[in-house]
Amino acid sequence: MLEYLIIQLDDTSTSYCHYKIGKKERRLIPLEMLKAGIKFGMLENLMIQFVYPDYKLPDDYAEAIETIDHSKIVSSLCENEVLKAEADVIIFHEWTELSLAQLDEKKSYVLRTAKADLFDRYLFLKDVISKVMRLNIVITDVETFTEQDFEKYKQILHTLSEHIEKEYAAGKAPQFNILTDRMMLDKMNNCNAGASNITLAPNGKFYVCPAFYYENEEDSIGDLEHGLDIKNPQLYKLEFAPICRHCDAYQCKRCIWLNRKTTLEVNTPSHEQCVVAHLERNASRELSDNIRKHGTFMLEIDIKGIDYLDPFDKREEW
Amino acid sequence: MLYRNPKSWQLGIARTITFIVTKDCQLACKYCYLVGKNISERMSFETAKKAIDYILGHEDKFREESVIFDFIGGEPFLEIDLIDQICDYLKTEMYRLNHHWFNSYRFSFSTNGINYHEKKVQDFIKKNASHVSIGITIDGTEKKHDMNRVYKLTERGSYKDVVKNIPLWLEQFPNAGTKVTVSSHDLPYIVESVLHLYSLGIHEVNINVVFEDVWQDGDNTIFEQQLIKLADIIINQGYYKDYACSFFSENIGKPMDREWDNNNWCGAGKMLSVDAAGNFYPCTRFAQYSLRDKKALIIGNVETGINENLLRPFLTLDRCTQSPEECLDCEVASGCAWCQGENYDAAQTNTIYQRATAICKMHKARVRANNYYWNKLFRKLELEGKRDEFEKNKKESNPTIC
Ligand code: SF4
Ligand code: SF4
Ligand code: SF4
Repeated sequence: MLEYLIIQLDDTSTSYCHYKIGKKERRLIPLEMLKAGIKFGMLENLMIQFVYPDYKLPDDYAEAIETIDHSKIVSSLCENEVLKAEADVIIFHEWTELSLAQLDEKKSYVLRTAKADLFDRYLFLKDVISKVMRLNIVITDVETFTEQDFEKYKQILHTLSEHIEKEYAAGKAPQFNILTDRMMLDKMNNCNAGASNITLAPNGKFYVCPAFYYENEEDSIGDLEHGLDIKNPQLYKLEFAPICRHCDAYQCKRCIWLNRKTTLEVNTPSHEQCVVAHLERNASRELSDNIRKHGTFMLEIDIKGIDYLDPFDKREEW
Repeated sequence: MLYRNPKSWQLGIARTITFIVTKDCQLACKYCYLVGKNISERMSFETAKKAIDYILGHEDKFREESVIFDFIGGEPFLEIDLIDQICDYLKTEMYRLNHHWFNSYRFSFSTNGINYHEKKVQDFIKKNASHVSIGITIDGTEKKHDMNRVYKLTERGSYKDVVKNIPLWLEQFPNAGTKVTVSSHDLPYIVESVLHLYSLGIHEVNINVVFEDVWQDGDNTIFEQQLIKLADIIINQGYYKDYACSFFSENIGKPMDREWDNNNWCGAGKMLSVDAAGNFYPCTRFAQYSLRDKKALIIGNVETGINENLLRPFLTLDRCTQSPEECLDCEVASGCAWCQGENYDAAQTNTIYQRATAICKMHKARVRANNYYWNKLFRKLELEGKRDEFEKNKKESNPTIC
């Protein structure tokens, strides 16, 4: 069921996920279109998330946005400080930026990072995790992971897990997507682009997510004028994803866009995506066991021991 | 000398590796799905060698017990010299590498039969004796055959040139079957075609209707009537005793369980095709020359190997995920086939996960005719007290997949 509408306010709106911003020129969504998008969201009963560009929007835009309950996704590089203070999620694209930023303990942050930077600088994350309400890591080149990268990632997760365990032992409960999300989940919690959320782009057309818009503007799934028209809509649902529906790496983003990029099918993930998600899953299991040494913790969630990192390898058993 | 039966050999436990040696053919068959046939794309030995080096060098990725090296075109025998060279290289390499396929391989051909008698082809067959299987395509009576299977330039029918080679072929492969593909305008000729093939001495007729959306209103009725007529003749004249026609199968037309009967039909992805450019495909139907509306689905090439990620959708595809609700609830679903390549070509998005159901009404007609056939045949056998004997000796045709 559709629940969220993401509105890309401008072609240069920040990226909050795996994809790069595919356009350099500003193109602000026309005001009437923005209002029509908000109305669409109201009629369909969708929660709206606005994705902002780095420059300050005209006042009448800000006014239109305030006519509806919503969340704001804003880049750390946004020049509008007031907006940044109001943002629900702040996106960092750069480690140095993050190290210089004033972090707010009540806010959620996203760090988009290439694997190489993560491998070099991950220790710095301990500090961030302790300071903020929530930190999400988005690795922007998951599809390039090699066997050696998997090994490194495993070690990094282990190191950061020890830090989080200490925080828990000290009575805190930091949220760090790649380690703590799975500990709390008893069912899939994926991105769900195309199934529970869709994106409205500045051209007035709907897309599965902003990545699909940047990749090919022709690849729309309807427009404001004629409504939604998703072809093969079932393929965005978990039940129609043969590998994922057998999987319990519930924290995995199950990135539909990367699926299509790597396997040509929106419902089929790459080996790399699955292994990365399983390293996180297994690290969460270990973390959860370790936290339990300090007291009772989430007893209803039992993450089982498994002997695979890619559910595809177990397909004969399904 | 006797040779192997085509296709059925090691069904299910053999990997099929197809070399698209040429896209050229003497014929321009009216129904040919190879929309992009041309004379320029001929495989070089270098490319074939690279493909072989990759395949035999990755035994871990090709673990099936046996292998069928399949040569198709266009018309493969136009490239008999190249094929001979490829097969020699395959044999030497399998031997040199002590490859597990060395004792379990076949060379398989689907040919139009026109140059079957030529010395080079015959020499090849003799040289590879027990490792060869060959299917010749003949559509039925002269009239029916020549409606479709005509020479490229003159549009003259090819029947006479093929049929003169049938005795030699049957002498070498007595159990050989032929494959017949039925499209809309062929429907009225089904009975005479099957009987004609039987009369030529072909005991196994593997026949199917095309998957493409070609069917007209009323085609299902014509189809059903033809099959009922055929059923009457096969039963009344006793052909059922040692001839087979794949239209009649005991196992079709039953509901299918969502959980237990969830396998994919088609073998795409468990096969591998390589073309003249050195590209790998999950099956030949995904090469550009076989597709109408979609871009070729290339899963790698002889230089870089197979991109395993691109195979994942094929290897996890099941019946329910790709079928519409109507098929899942269908009372006569079993035996209702599909072709992954046609599904891909006809899909609304670039996916192999949308089953094309253009054959729906034709399958339903086939099921009704099957019910008639088996009811009639079993009653006759029971009255004659020969049911048990029939069960023991019955000749099964191969399921016609592609
Ligand atoms: S499909 Fe989802 S996870 Fe992937 S880029 Fe789009 S929003 Fe992000
Ligand atoms: S780990 Fe793989 S199978 Fe599991 S949800 Fe993620 S993408 Fe799907
Ligand atoms: S295509 Fe028609 S006959 Fe075949 S399974 Fe679907 S509903 Fe049944």
